[in-house]
Amino acid sequence: MSAAANAKTELQSPGLPGSASKPARKWFLAALLIALLLFPLTNLVSGSMNYVLFMMLYIFMYIAMASSWNIIGGYTGYTSLGHNVFFAIGAYFSGVMLVYFKISPYLTAPLAGLLAMGVGLLVGVISLRTRGPAFIISTVAMILLVKITFDNWDYIGGSNGLSLPIPDLDVTISKFPPYYAMLLLAVGAVYLSYRIRHSKFGLGLRAISQDETKAEVAGINTNYYKILAFAISALFVGMAGSIWGYYLTYLRPNIFLTVLMAAQLVLMTLLGGKGTVAGPVVGAVVFILANEFFVSQLGFTELNIVATGVLMIVVLLFFPEGIVGTLKERGKLPQFLDWE
Amino acid sequence: MTQMVQIFLLGMSLGGVYALMAAGLTIVFGVMRIVNIAHAAFMFIAAYITYFLFQSFGVDPILSILVTMPVMYLLGVVVYRLVFARIADSSRFAELTVLLTFSLALVIEGLLGAMFTNIYRSTNPRYATDAILFGNFYLPEGQFYATLISLALLGGLWLFLRTTRTGYAIRAAMQNRTAAQVVGVDVSRISTIAFGLGMAMAGASGSLSSFLFTFFPGKHWEWVAILLSLIVLGGMGSLLGSLVGAFALAVSAAYVSYFYGPTWSPITFFLALFLILMFRPRGLFGKPMEA
Amino acid sequence: MLLEVQNVHAGYGAGPSILQGLSMAVEKGQSYCIIGPNGAGKSTLLKVICGLLHPRQGQVLFKGNPIHTLRTDQILMQGISFVPQDRSLFPDMTVRENLRMGGYILKDRKEVERRIDAVYELFPLLKERGNQLAKTLSGGQQQMLAIGRSMVLRPEIIMLDEPSLGLAPKIARQIFDSIQFLKQGGMTVLLVEQNARLGLKSADWGFVLDLGKMSFDGPADSILADERIQELYLGRQKPPRGGETA
Ligand SMILES: Nc1ncnc2c1ncn2[C@@H]1O[C@H](COP(=O)(O)OP(=O)(O)OP(=O)(O)O)[C@@H](O)[C@H]1O
Ligand SMILES: [Mg+2]
Repeated sequence: MSAAANAKTELQSPGLPGSASKPARKWFLAALLIALLLFPLTNLVSGSMNYVLFMMLYIFMYIAMASSWNIIGGYTGYTSLGHNVFFAIGAYFSGVMLVYFKISPYLTAPLAGLLAMGVGLLVGVISLRTRGPAFIISTVAMILLVKITFDNWDYIGGSNGLSLPIPDLDVTISKFPPYYAMLLLAVGAVYLSYRIRHSKFGLGLRAISQDETKAEVAGINTNYYKILAFAISALFVGMAGSIWGYYLTYLRPNIFLTVLMAAQLVLMTLLGGKGTVAGPVVGAVVFILANEFFVSQLGFTELNIVATGVLMIVVLLFFPEGIVGTLKERGKLPQFLDWE
Repeated sequence: MTQMVQIFLLGMSLGGVYALMAAGLTIVFGVMRIVNIAHAAFMFIAAYITYFLFQSFGVDPILSILVTMPVMYLLGVVVYRLVFARIADSSRFAELTVLLTFSLALVIEGLLGAMFTNIYRSTNPRYATDAILFGNFYLPEGQFYATLISLALLGGLWLFLRTTRTGYAIRAAMQNRTAAQVVGVDVSRISTIAFGLGMAMAGASGSLSSFLFTFFPGKHWEWVAILLSLIVLGGMGSLLGSLVGAFALAVSAAYVSYFYGPTWSPITFFLALFLILMFRPRGLFGKPMEA
Repeated sequence: MLLEVQNVHAGYGAGPSILQGLSMAVEKGQSYCIIGPNGAGKSTLLKVICGLLHPRQGQVLFKGNPIHTLRTDQILMQGISFVPQDRSLFPDMTVRENLRMGGYILKDRKEVERRIDAVYELFPLLKERGNQLAKTLSGGQQQMLAIGRSMVLRPEIIMLDEPSLGLAPKIARQIFDSIQFLKQGGMTVLLVEQNARLGLKSADWGFVLDLGKMSFDGPADSILADERIQELYLGRQKPPRGGETA
């Protein structure tokens, strides 16, 4: 049976849960994954795909991070404006391991993720004592707190930052390791997000986002759930940081710890549709491509910031449910994007 | 000992300006539940206007408050009507306002960057560098004036809130929005005024900041983080709380700066924020679990 | 007819309609009690009448003129005031300031002060506590203040949402006594009451709100006596058709 035919049967038998009942989506995702896995090989042929590879790995990175952010910001309803702290922690941890102990970031990335998770746990215990605006503010403060600390911490280079050794690879394949690493992270993060969405844990998180008091009354240990969600949402962000730091080859607090970066993470998730599995992915792709378009058209980075801001205001005012959310609401979400 | 007193005085003399900044933020939050992440960005608009007037026409930065306050008031009214009035009934209002003001801050930052570039700026009237002696102690003249003006403006605000009909309405809306509606306060109109008022105060503090601190467009994030910490500390929406917080933290930051160096002084605010979250999540003067 | 609600549909945000074609009529100088199960939409109805919520369909007429598109302050000006379920005081204002806010829409400050004095005569206790912050009052005193505050405007209709909520029976009766007093002064009273017996006993006419509509209405004593209503809404603590046993 062809994918299209399957799509039809699917439409006629709604309500069947689980991925098995959505073969069209399954085929689409499998084909997409294979294409993405094979794509870098084109660079061996033409050699001019480095820019495209860079754009793709950059998008993968943000897919991984936005999907992770969605766990606390979307499912649980606690908007964090400080997630790049975990990104920075991952980058610096792996950077230090590389500079001082000569261990490759590809090996230390998982540890970096776990470290970020640990810090997330700690911060979560404190920040999640409050909610709403006060919580959001505490996450912004977290960025500045960490930035000042890093700026003044000589071991990790202070405000001048830390330079990492440049990987010694032929230019045609130099983008391969970060490309595959980021692809892995993106797939992992989306899968994690999907699994959580369909677990009892995820149900608890959604209950919290709807009405925390009721969730508590219903017997959910909301504190434990929230803190765990916060920590989990740091995992892939930390790993992405360690890969990205190595790719950039230098780490500086004022690159990794800007509020703007935290904002972008939130904004792309909203753009795609928070609280959905596909939303952060769609959002990351659209946001980064749009951003790239603005940069190429407007050049000027300042006007680019303006364009980003204006775009977000428009989305927030007129499509607060994001692309996926709005399409879904209107029943126009194409099946290959319905990842619920 | 005299040194300690001197530092205390220096801290207090910045506290007034912080208090003015925090008061604007608090009114906007208190009346409309808008967490204005763009507050410092708006402040910077005023700082750049002041800078422009000073550089081009030699207008005294303190005098330019007479320009920045009304201009920022009007800008506030327009922004409120254009952006916030239309989402006033949304069930996701609080979250949306954070993200919207965030986006506004980006827009402002970008525009300021395009117009004034990213170079550090400040105005340098004579009093920016002079000091006033009080017996054994000194105060930078600029800080001294800025604090006097801040206190005067805060006093004016206090009188306005305590004695005028609109002031009563603003306080009423801060304390209980439904109740204000029930007694016939047009909360939409009051919200517009309150937002404008908050922006006018951002305007005044921006003018004062122009000779107290150096600034470039992206720097507003550091400021707003400090101010937001301050109002969480004070208890989200309590004017008194934010004032007490402003002075207490300004003084603490002065000591931290003296003992550990100026780069560490902003950390005082963030540490204080986390400490207060740990031990008293509602803030110093907040109601229980103010979300 | 003083106030008419005609076929009103209303709900919150994009949510379902809570009121679904509700109609009712209120005559001058009478007192009315609306009863109904939790979540039936009683508070919603009062919010619609005073303009805190606008109906999706249908209309509200006051003295024959439509008021359902007006703002709350405009409706207040016409003479309808509302004491919400949570009393909605200004916690950090004094009793006197709260009363002053009651006269917010009046421009003449001296007149407001005169009317506050009149309220003080009715509730001497409020006068005693004039300089105390509202949040420091007891529940009964707060309710008194909320009623006193809405009296400052001398409305034609006063709407009270569950004034006895959370009050000890004795205090609740005091509150109801003062409501009686308002009615004797010529005011039209519209009351929502969870304590249906107490509410109906003090009213001339009763409404039963259920499933977004008025399911019964009639003279209060006949509603009290109606067996079906007893069974459905009043609980059967008393023998059917039994008279009052105080
Ligand atoms: N602000 C609101 N937003 C959304 N839904 C609301 C709101 N207020 C009330 N509702 C819903 O409207 C319905 C009716 O509520 P309402 O308060 O009118 O009931 P009620 O009859 O006054 O109940 P009670 O006796 O408990 O006071 C309920 O289902 C409630 O959940
Ligand atoms: Mg009710």
